[in-house]
Amino acid sequence: MEAFFSTYGFLLVSMVFAALLGLSLYLPLMSGQLSLASPGFYALGGYIAAGLSTKVFTNAGPLFPVPLVLLEMLVAGLVSAVVAVVVGVPALRLRGIYLALATIAFIEIIRVLALNLEITGGAVGIFGVPQPFKTQIEYMWIAAPLLVLTMLFLYRLERIRVGRAFIAIREDELASGAMGIDPTYNKVLSFTMGAVLAGVVGAVSAHFLNTWNARQGTFDASIVYLAFVLIGGSRTFLGPVVGGMALTALPELLRAASGNGSLPDWVAQFMKDGRLIIFGFLIVVGTVFLPQGVVTPRMFRRRKASPPAARTEPAETVETVEAAQKENPA
Amino acid sequence: MSVQPGAALADGSAYLVCVLEVRDVTRRFGGLVAVNQVSFSVQPGEIFGLIGPNGAGKTTLFNVITGLIPASSGHLLYRGEDIIHMRPHRIAALGIARTFQNIRLFSNLTALENVMIAQHVHTHSGIIAGVFGLPPSPQEERATRRKAHDLLHMVGLTNRADEIARNFAYGDQRRLEIARALALEPQLLLLDEPAAGMNHNEKLELSDFIREIRLSLNLTVLLIEHHVPLVMGLCDRIAVLNFGELIALGDPAKVQNDPAVIEAYLGSE
Repeated sequence: MEAFFSTYGFLLVSMVFAALLGLSLYLPLMSGQLSLASPGFYALGGYIAAGLSTKVFTNAGPLFPVPLVLLEMLVAGLVSAVVAVVVGVPALRLRGIYLALATIAFIEIIRVLALNLEITGGAVGIFGVPQPFKTQIEYMWIAAPLLVLTMLFLYRLERIRVGRAFIAIREDELASGAMGIDPTYNKVLSFTMGAVLAGVVGAVSAHFLNTWNARQGTFDASIVYLAFVLIGGSRTFLGPVVGGMALTALPELLRAASGNGSLPDWVAQFMKDGRLIIFGFLIVVGTVFLPQGVVTPRMFRRRKASPPAARTEPAETVETVEAAQKENPA
Repeated sequence: MSVQPGAALADGSAYLVCVLEVRDVTRRFGGLVAVNQVSFSVQPGEIFGLIGPNGAGKTTLFNVITGLIPASSGHLLYRGEDIIHMRPHRIAALGIARTFQNIRLFSNLTALENVMIAQHVHTHSGIIAGVFGLPPSPQEERATRRKAHDLLHMVGLTNRADEIARNFAYGDQRRLEIARALALEPQLLLLDEPAAGMNHNEKLELSDFIREIRLSLNLTVLLIEHHVPLVMGLCDRIAVLNFGELIALGDPAKVQNDPAVIEAYLGSE
């Protein structure tokens, strides 16, 4: 058992973090907003923790105290929330792919700032982030409760007034407005909750990875988190959890499979190094054959079967609303 | 600009505040004037019909009233308050609910969820109370659920609460949209072609239902409808639009015999 944990401790904790990062992308998606900003907040949270623990809490002793890690997570969450509101209010006026592009721009801004500021250590980054634990598997003491609490939070959120408002916006933003739901407020709220989660995970990860630099939380990471959600499932919080864990374990499984010597060298090499290619392929195949992902709400909810609608009549006149909204993006 | 509530009533019936007053409302799409200087007022408790040929601007006017499309000019007074620049969710919260011509249910959700969502403005528990199940959230959730069941029962969808909206037959989707609109507890209900796709009996039932809820829920109803017998039998007053302009206004008998209306519908010789 000990040998297993020392070999796979890093992977197991990484899987939990991946699940949490998938959830940070799932939260804005609950209100229909495709935001790729999570890696930006993840990087931000990591820099906050790395900076605080190496420059402020310097006399902490041989093992960095866990309460200080929790304090850093709190600070990272609060700063992420403020930044998310500032970024979200203008960005969430954009729809669909334009929002995705704006959030990619946000990631780039964070990255370029990190590369050029002194406080973030420039291109070198911040080294020697102190360790609160002796072994990596012990990070589970923080990671596992965080995942469980987040999942309970989302389980409840999907069943209460605020969560229903998010889902209404995802289903039909125009109709939700006509039903008295403020789209802007709820979109910013869901975006901010996702940002806080990413920031908090970043703060623990800075300790976990021991070092933090501008290669953390780049555009590559956006695509990986998006794969967690799209392949795992975007209609229930269990989707990103399953997707994040499975896709983080996948390269290790591929590595193990490629190492048994029965495959040609180039296949083994591809299985080891072609992770992003395989992810891209899975996103394409997944969206075609499993548009709702592997885990769907239908697996859990029992609904009475009813015959499909006898007929659906086409709209009789041109819908002028969307046209007007393009004309006046209010 | 300040507007005196109800001061413009022509018949001098005191300073009664009308439920909705449309004043010189215009909406242009580029060079096309979809709604042109339209004015009328809707009195409390009235069933007011809006008719006209296809493309007359009826739905555009509905969209302007509910804030989905900004007006190019004009005023909209709801119980004396100018709502012309308000965003849709504010207008809905004031008590104006609507249905859509090309049904816009939350189609992947259940009937019950659709009706529960529309009670948003009448519930207030925040995210913390909701997630931890603190008061008033559990009580509110129970009340929301109970009221949603009541509304589904009222529109004749009892026992279908857990079915997904997309799977409902067309007429049932229209009923569900009405239930969802009523969940807002509106004072003014806007129905955009509520009888479209219904058979003769269903249309009669719908007429009775609209009369019934007007009384029991103290509603004012503004409805767009193509089916002439239904409009004539149901509405207290009717406004006729053609190419964005108001060409007739009055009780059904008067409108029916108006030469301009006959010309708009049948063409001149």
